[in-house]
Amino acid sequence: MVDQPLWEQIGSSFVQHYYQLFDSDRTQLGSIYTDTSCLTWEGQQFQGKNDIVEKLTSLPFSKIAHSITAQDHQPTPDCCILSMVVGQLKADNDPIMGFHQSFILKNVNDSWVCTNDMFRLAIHNFG
Amino acid sequence: MSDGEYDYLIKFLALGDSGVGKTSFLYQYTDGKFNSKFITTVGIDFREKRVIYKSTGPDGSSGKGQKIHMQLWDTAGQERFRSLTTAFFRDAMGFLLLFDLTNEQSFLNVRNWMSQLQIHAYCENPDIVLCGNKCDLSDQRAVSEEEARELADKYGIPYFETSAANGQHVSQAVDVLLDLIMKRMERCVDKSWIPDGTVRANGPTNTDLSEGSERSKCAC
Repeated sequence: MVDQPLWEQIGSSFVQHYYQLFDSDRTQLGSIYTDTSCLTWEGQQFQGKNDIVEKLTSLPFSKIAHSITAQDHQPTPDCCILSMVVGQLKADNDPIMGFHQSFILKNVNDSWVCTNDMFRLAIHNFG
Repeated sequence: MSDGEYDYLIKFLALGDSGVGKTSFLYQYTDGKFNSKFITTVGIDFREKRVIYKSTGPDGSSGKGQKIHMQLWDTAGQERFRSLTTAFFRDAMGFLLLFDLTNEQSFLNVRNWMSQLQIHAYCENPDIVLCGNKCDLSDQRAVSEEEARELADKYGIPYFETSAANGQHVSQAVDVLLDLIMKRMERCVDKSWIPDGTVRANGPTNTDLSEGSERSKCAC
């Protein structure tokens, strides 16, 4: 584990932190975005931490649990980290659904923030 | 199951708030069982069932049976993550609109689902059957049969009190929906408005000329 590249360590600790916040208190997610962060949620675009947090907190379920199946992280040419997550989630008492989520993380003033966030459910019954 | 031997493929969509019992309702209809555990398999998004539909003439005589291949689609809860838009509704021919008799809010939201349907379905007055589900939980009932019927009458749609747990009125509700759709098709001279791929003739499987020509009009 000591030999893990830095981007792996940062990426995976971000992912752990993100879903821990998401599942316990979505209103706290503002802390990881900036005013220029972009979220694409099921094809819908949001920009800035306020709009992003408003979207995430307005999702109509009271309980959610994420389970991460796999995650991959890469360094980008401009010193950011690209992360991709594949997992399953359960909202209230609904059936478990798969999802994909990707992030770009950037180091700003010695802390890592999420500049880009894309989310899709992994279901295929709407085409 | 999709062996191709059918006269019509008809796609139904079950709608309603999360937790009203859509998945259990469809499971009861197709398998005759109640599954109190949630089906956790991701990717099984619809259930299928074959029925023989016999149209009933005005004199009560029943016509030749037609093989119907029904696809019953479930929303799997994705409505919480994205709005169900045209893409989701457009191919469905009929709608089972469910609410939970023990949850008043799910009944109040029937109005929202109706307006969603009027906007996104293939036409403004698609065939819909309203189902008050969980009627077996009579001690927890929060919506009276009377007020539910009143609402259904207002929209001019049939209403059933159903139980996905014991099967009460589940198949009747689906049968009535199928009947509405088949009657609509019989009424409709120009069938070009029927959504693509929703209802299709599956080749001339019999030689009855009058029926053959009728079917060919539906072939989209």
